[in-house]
Amino acid sequence: MSSVIEIKVPDLGNVAEIDIIDVPVSVGDVVVVEQTLAVMETDKATMDLPSSAAGKIVQLHIKVGDKVAQGTLVATVELGGASAPAETAPAPKAEKPAEAVAAPVAPAEPPKAAPAAVVAATPVSTEQTSHDGLKAHATPSVRLFARELGVDLAKVTAGTGRKGRILKEDVQNFVKRIMAGASVPGATGAGIPSIPAVDFTQFGEVEEKQLSKIKRLTGQNLTRVWLNLPLVTYHDEVAIDEMEAFRKAVNNGLAKDAVKVTGLVFIMKALVAAMKQYPAFNSSLSADGERLIYKKYFHLGIAVDTPNGLVVPVIRNVDQKSIFELTTELAEKSQLARQGKLMPADMQGGCMTISSLGGIGGTAFTPIVNAPEVAILGVTRSKVQPVWNGASFEPQLMLPLDITYDHRVIDGAEGARFMEALKYYLGDVRRLLL
Amino acid sequence: MANSTPIQAEVLVLGGGPGGYTAAFRAADLGKKVVLVERYPVLGGVCLNVGCIPSKALLHVAQVIHEADAFAEHGVTFAKPQIDLDKVRSWKESVTQTLNQGLARLAKQRNVTVVSGYGKFTSSTSLSVEGEQSVQVVNFENAIIAAGSHPTQIPVFPNDDPRLWNSTDALALKSVPEKLLILGGGIIGLEMATVYHALGSKISVVELMDQIIPGCDKDLVTPLQRRIKKQYDNLWLQTKVTRIEALPEGLKVSFEGKNAPESELFDAVLVAVGRRPNGKLIDAEKAGVVVDEAGFIAVDKQQRTNVSNIFAIGDIVGNPMLAHKASYEGKIAAEVISGHKAGFDALTIPSVAYTDPEVAWMGLSETQAQAQGVDYEKAVFPWAASGRSLALGRNEGLTKIITDKSSGRLLGAGFVGPGAGELLAEAVLALEMGADAADISLTIHAHPTLSESFAFAAEMIEGTITDLYIKK
Repeated sequence: MSSVIEIKVPDLGNVAEIDIIDVPVSVGDVVVVEQTLAVMETDKATMDLPSSAAGKIVQLHIKVGDKVAQGTLVATVELGGASAPAETAPAPKAEKPAEAVAAPVAPAEPPKAAPAAVVAATPVSTEQTSHDGLKAHATPSVRLFARELGVDLAKVTAGTGRKGRILKEDVQNFVKRIMAGASVPGATGAGIPSIPAVDFTQFGEVEEKQLSKIKRLTGQNLTRVWLNLPLVTYHDEVAIDEMEAFRKAVNNGLAKDAVKVTGLVFIMKALVAAMKQYPAFNSSLSADGERLIYKKYFHLGIAVDTPNGLVVPVIRNVDQKSIFELTTELAEKSQLARQGKLMPADMQGGCMTISSLGGIGGTAFTPIVNAPEVAILGVTRSKVQPVWNGASFEPQLMLPLDITYDHRVIDGAEGARFMEALKYYLGDVRRLLL
Repeated sequence: MANSTPIQAEVLVLGGGPGGYTAAFRAADLGKKVVLVERYPVLGGVCLNVGCIPSKALLHVAQVIHEADAFAEHGVTFAKPQIDLDKVRSWKESVTQTLNQGLARLAKQRNVTVVSGYGKFTSSTSLSVEGEQSVQVVNFENAIIAAGSHPTQIPVFPNDDPRLWNSTDALALKSVPEKLLILGGGIIGLEMATVYHALGSKISVVELMDQIIPGCDKDLVTPLQRRIKKQYDNLWLQTKVTRIEALPEGLKVSFEGKNAPESELFDAVLVAVGRRPNGKLIDAEKAGVVVDEAGFIAVDKQQRTNVSNIFAIGDIVGNPMLAHKASYEGKIAAEVISGHKAGFDALTIPSVAYTDPEVAWMGLSETQAQAQGVDYEKAVFPWAASGRSLALGRNEGLTKIITDKSSGRLLGAGFVGPGAGELLAEAVLALEMGADAADISLTIHAHPTLSESFAFAAEMIEGTITDLYIKK
């Protein structure tokens, strides 16, 4: 008899709920190590769940649509696929009717005709009936109604009937509240009128497509920030001729197949230097808005455009890493992000975020802060511009910068000074050494 | 034996008692193709054929005899009743037959296929029914086991002697023995005692526990106990029957208990010491269904057994073994199979002893409240203060309610007195609706009725009663 191993959902960082969106294997399949058993999706990314063992899947404990968490049992795998044939053969076991004493467990079962039948040691409960009927103050019809909707009456606390009796309407309202909460978790209760639905087919042909989960959740998050944070965006530009000359010189000295240093890495270094000078940019406001939490570490989020939507991998301890280390890490993380393989932990803990559209174009934009961070740096495409040097116009490579900040934490003047500091470092990257 | 072609059922129901036929009819009404297997030629099970219904017919006979007799005291004297046992029996049988025919019609109207014979599982999707002439195989998608229970037999007794009865024998009304011993002071034993006492038998009751109807609060049982002590020859409590010898002159019964004689001779003995589930008699293990040592099948709130397509209801899933529990469960099983989100959600299963006086109770008993440490309040209204009860020539009844001390919510209730079983319904409804003492006392009850007593008991809790004077 070969041994059997249980594969569970690994630690994915601080993530409460993970959706199973695909299960490409089925019972009986022989899998190899690292083969994808399931595809999981969190609010930030989708990722594969690799098999940690090679063998035959004897039981699958998850299906598409399940919500899992760290430790959830995914599959039972029989180690070593070699024993598979013996198991898959139907092999009708000879039934011995008189096998000594009647064992209390595991009666000799005839071959089962109905694959649907589930046999358990105890009755298979299909619902959670935790509530004690005597405690829920509701009539039998309301209890039935709650059962049909899957509502645990113990959670419907305020009955509006006589003496606190839970009425049918209370169950309905309970469900409505939950439904409303689930679809608009970012709702502030400000009573903002919703945008009316429009039938676009009256104007022409249309096609509807489901938003990806990342997009939906990003949307909720951005709405929440937009409604909660007083945002200010401040624009400026800096001459980066010298930084570019230096960068090109560095890249020229590299081997042909080496990862080339990008301007973004210099911007990251300069941003951290400015954050050290103005610690308010490396802070978060406490939830009650009464205290400012200063961070002693320097992790930067880098917004990456992927086919599924916007994701923000976080590069840790930017202050302690060399330009080359950052270049390599940035390339790896961006690659994983585009493949949808970032782990949730890769996207947590950022202090400030950089959103660079430089590869595409633009002169300025107003990025939205990735709360609970307090500021975000937007970068668009640099271009050569005539700059008055006091005597004549001189061509200079100008990089546009946009800083959006939470005005509850950062004043306008502080924001301007922070931009000046950033320009100071980018204008001559040697200053980063000082 | 000939084998007929297997029939296919979406829902197979094994057992045609109140649980089984309710489940079958409900499933059929929900659009399922239903096969109902019953070992006897008629539907209705123990309840209809050899239980609740025939016993109620005979108990009504007893009531008429007693009432006629009792009114001699109040100025109305009848002649001593002439009892034509054959006629009484055939009247009882006509009652059950009417209901049997009704059930057969209801099954037909719903296109429920009724297969007669002894059904046993052969797998988790098939059952074989041994009929008189042939064996019928039924293949099913879902099954509901409603195979009931049978009277407990005590192996050391001379069970083959026709003078040793179980409840079915007693209901057959073959003869009226001069001296009848009822072994077991529970509901079934005492109901049969009531019947045979009215028909002229001298009754002795022997019970192991220190009260009759164990499980019911003692104060509710006391009026019945007092009355039968007067009517019957003997009521031996805390007494054991150690031996029954079949002698030509009668059954010699040996006792062991404080007031009981060493032995006594009876013309018949009714063994009414409970019922055993039929779990071990249906080859449930071939379907993979787990049956416990006692013969019970465990189920969840959806009545589902450990095998997902097999459900079980009624006596076979546990106590109390009552028809109204079985039919409630039957509906749940049928609805769950049909995709409804049903579940066992009743707060109580009411109990009634159709003795004279009747004893009925529901919800939390005082004994249970004490055992569970519930902070309760109780009130007992004596029917001696009820005009209606006195007008019936009776004064021994009681109405008792148990409420939650802090909220006043009804937790349990009990009645003893004529018609107590009918009064119980209001208490069950009040409990299910979450009524408290004030709700009950502020509901206007018709006067003069026995049902008033329920409101009076609630008024005692509320301190608003005027029909009694309770010194503060």
